[in-house]
Amino acid sequence: MDIITIKDLSFSYPDSGKETLSHVDMTIQEGTFNVLCGKSGCGKSTLLRQLKSVLAPHGEKSGEIYYRGAPLSAVGQRVQSQEIGYVLQNPENQIVTDKVWHELAFGLESLGCDSEVIRLRVAEMASYFGIHQWFYRNVSELSGGQKQLLNLASVMSMHPRLLILDEPTSQLDPIAASDFLETVKKINRDIGTTVVLTEHRLQDVIPWADKVFVMDQGRLAVEGPPREIGEKLKAAGSGMFLAMPVPMQVYAAVDSQEACPLTVSEGRQWISGLMKHMPAGSLKVPRPLQDPEEESTGAKKEKKRFQKVRKAAESVKAAVKKKEEKKNLAIQVDEAWFRYEKEGRDVVRDLSLEVKRGEFYALVGGNGTGKSTALSLISRVRSPHRGKILLEGKDIRKYSERELYRGCLGVLPQNPQSMFIKKTAREDLYSIIGGRKEKKSEEYTADMEKARAVEGIVSLTNLEGLLDRHPYDLSGGEQQRLALAKVLLLRPRILLLDEATKGMDAEYKEELGGILKKLQSHGVTILMISHDVEFVAEYADRVGLFFEGNVVACRPARAFFAGNNFYTTAANRMARHYFPDAVTAKEVAGCLQANL
Amino acid sequence: MRDAFSRCHPLLNFYYFAVVLGFTMFVQHPVFLALSFVGGTCYAVCLKGWKNTLKMNMLFTFPLLLITALTNPLFNHYGVTPLVYIESSGNWVTLEAFVYGLVLGCVMFIVIGWFSCYNKVMTSDKFVYLFGRVIPSLSLLLSMALRFVPMFAAQMKVIRNGQKCVGMDVSNGKYLKKALYGLNLLSILVTWALENAIETADSMKGRGYGLRGRTAFSIYRFDKRDWCMGSAMLVLTAVFVHGCRAGAVFAQYDPRILLAGFTIQGRNAPVSCSPGLAFACYAAFALFCFLPVILGAVEAISMERSRARAGMEAGVTYRQIYQEIEREGGVPLADEEREGKGGIRIWTS
Repeated sequence: MDIITIKDLSFSYPDSGKETLSHVDMTIQEGTFNVLCGKSGCGKSTLLRQLKSVLAPHGEKSGEIYYRGAPLSAVGQRVQSQEIGYVLQNPENQIVTDKVWHELAFGLESLGCDSEVIRLRVAEMASYFGIHQWFYRNVSELSGGQKQLLNLASVMSMHPRLLILDEPTSQLDPIAASDFLETVKKINRDIGTTVVLTEHRLQDVIPWADKVFVMDQGRLAVEGPPREIGEKLKAAGSGMFLAMPVPMQVYAAVDSQEACPLTVSEGRQWISGLMKHMPAGSLKVPRPLQDPEEESTGAKKEKKRFQKVRKAAESVKAAVKKKEEKKNLAIQVDEAWFRYEKEGRDVVRDLSLEVKRGEFYALVGGNGTGKSTALSLISRVRSPHRGKILLEGKDIRKYSERELYRGCLGVLPQNPQSMFIKKTAREDLYSIIGGRKEKKSEEYTADMEKARAVEGIVSLTNLEGLLDRHPYDLSGGEQQRLALAKVLLLRPRILLLDEATKGMDAEYKEELGGILKKLQSHGVTILMISHDVEFVAEYADRVGLFFEGNVVACRPARAFFAGNNFYTTAANRMARHYFPDAVTAKEVAGCLQANL
Repeated sequence: MRDAFSRCHPLLNFYYFAVVLGFTMFVQHPVFLALSFVGGTCYAVCLKGWKNTLKMNMLFTFPLLLITALTNPLFNHYGVTPLVYIESSGNWVTLEAFVYGLVLGCVMFIVIGWFSCYNKVMTSDKFVYLFGRVIPSLSLLLSMALRFVPMFAAQMKVIRNGQKCVGMDVSNGKYLKKALYGLNLLSILVTWALENAIETADSMKGRGYGLRGRTAFSIYRFDKRDWCMGSAMLVLTAVFVHGCRAGAVFAQYDPRILLAGFTIQGRNAPVSCSPGLAFACYAAFALFCFLPVILGAVEAISMERSRARAGMEAGVTYRQIYQEIEREGGVPLADEEREGKGGIRIWTS
């Protein structure tokens, strides 16, 4: 039976002039797991919101939605509240009450259930979701992942038939995200609740989906089971592949008659199948992957002899060189220790870190290992109780406020919304350089006219055309770029980024990566902490693995990922048995093409 | 929480503190105050431990007591027993004013002690539950308010760190700039909060908020022990209220000190309360003050006993089983085996 049938649905927001959804036809079968994907702004969220009357945005609508055979508008509020569960993006904002147990009971209270029923349902949900350990806690004590799980549980306590999730994991770290998605799958499998999900962590959901819908500019571009989706998209030559899981991306770029791989393990088998006629050792590796320092054996011998002679002279020079190298370091952390409470655990322990001038350095590592704290030490929000931090060779404590934050250090916070002050993006940009007035002040010391400076930054960060909008009306990726533009107006030489790609889709990430590369080519040093292994592999020069408060390994990006088994990109895991050095989807595709 | 009384129904908790605090504040008879003091201190020690209680009393409330006790006679000069003549102002420091200051200081001291217990016992959710019953929509409102306070505090921290890194936190700049940056911080917080509230509203609507006939769920149940405790409290209250009305706690400090049951400077209090009733009244109040401590002790003892019994009973039961099997002619055990792992032997054979 079809739980949802959408017939020729079009929708446009007031005064927008164009249709956000146009002529969408869609059916969702009861008990299935459905994934809706597409670029940011393609109308996914708008479509999902239409499926529940109270959440549907205002605007012009034509066409009809049927819920279990009846028009949705004729289905009562009470039935909709109970049977259509909706989980939103932000874990924090969806929580209404202060206690976990109260939050679980909230929906049932609204429905007017009596205490006995609520007690049973709440107990049931708490044990199903493993919430019983923190049942009596305040919600403010929970982690992001727990909060989102609570949101899911408190929707599920109403026993909905249809569960709608709108990018539920965009604010979570990878481990919490895959736990959450695992739970959603489990609900679908165990209870048979119909699931409709939008998500940009597609590699975790597409392989398990019964049906995938791909949207493009308000239309339903392709639909079908996941394996067919890959082939259909490939046949259509659509640019949508960027958002698909890595195995599908690689598949799209390579000529192959076999079925589309969905998971890493399927991808491995697929590559083995493609490469089986190639004799071992004869694999061609495209140019950029080869180690530039590798030389012929003859040259090596020559060099060795040469080195022996020069060894004595060099040891003298080494000391000098080391000094010079030290000078050329942008960030230098020397055995820093930090803890929050006097008797607490050391969050940053014995951290030593060196970032060269003009380098893009990325720190990866699990949750709660102290990455963000380390970043706050480097940005002088907190100071270590032991050890030293040097920025461009000078002790961070010796900088004046203005020296440090105006011209030396730029910090992009994790949540860009914490930076917006004004009503329009343009005014917001001006606010950071002391308003529009052309007078030199302590906020703005450059010679350039302010208007030109803003213009330059705007074109660097691709914000043209967005300047008259309210910062909050921008999408996540655009907000991040606006915040970046604000920071860049201060002309920092060192840029610190905290999880800058959180909640962004593939396209925005590519845009951000491009901007960062451009900055780097102008000599800006970038230090980024990230969970996003794929992004780091593509753009960073060096990568450090953060564990228990310090950097345990630090290598050039390719060497780092090629050497790791678990902490590496999906593309590398998929192809490492043939191309251990290929780290990104593009590189894997390149390798495969070169050998076919 | 390990304390027995705080696991009682919130209604009892609230009633208890209301009565104890009320009587401590408005009855100024030294015997009552002493009982209240001992009861309150014992309970505070049970809840927070020796160290914390002593620390708070010595560092905070005791100095307050001294200040009140010493300042009262300096400003009030009523009374009939002059002690010292202050020439510069031409006033007498009187015994009555001094004693009354001491009593006031003690009241304050004791009330603060009880309030520190109140804070531990009456957690926010109990409060929300109690007052939510009176006005159901208030319960949700209170609960939401309690949720928003820590959330805003956390968001403010995030915002401040962000602004600090562009040199625009309140800790940066001179006075005028500081104020401006402060306003900016507030503006960011409010905008952010309002924006987020839209999503909260969506989440509420999505879960059926606004439908007719909303109920209020709570995790509290009025169980049998609560009935017992409640009636005990009511009876005790009735006894000492009756005693108070009969004048068992009469106390007057102006112009002369008159206390029920005491003869001070050759005078008795003008009350007609039999010594028996007065004693019952004091005893009832004492019991009332010690109720949480007694409950805690009873629970601790019964727990200890049940734990000990559990171990014993299991031992007895199994020994009986072994003996029975043996008697029924299972496998006759050799002596040394019986001492060692006899039980196992039976099960395996």
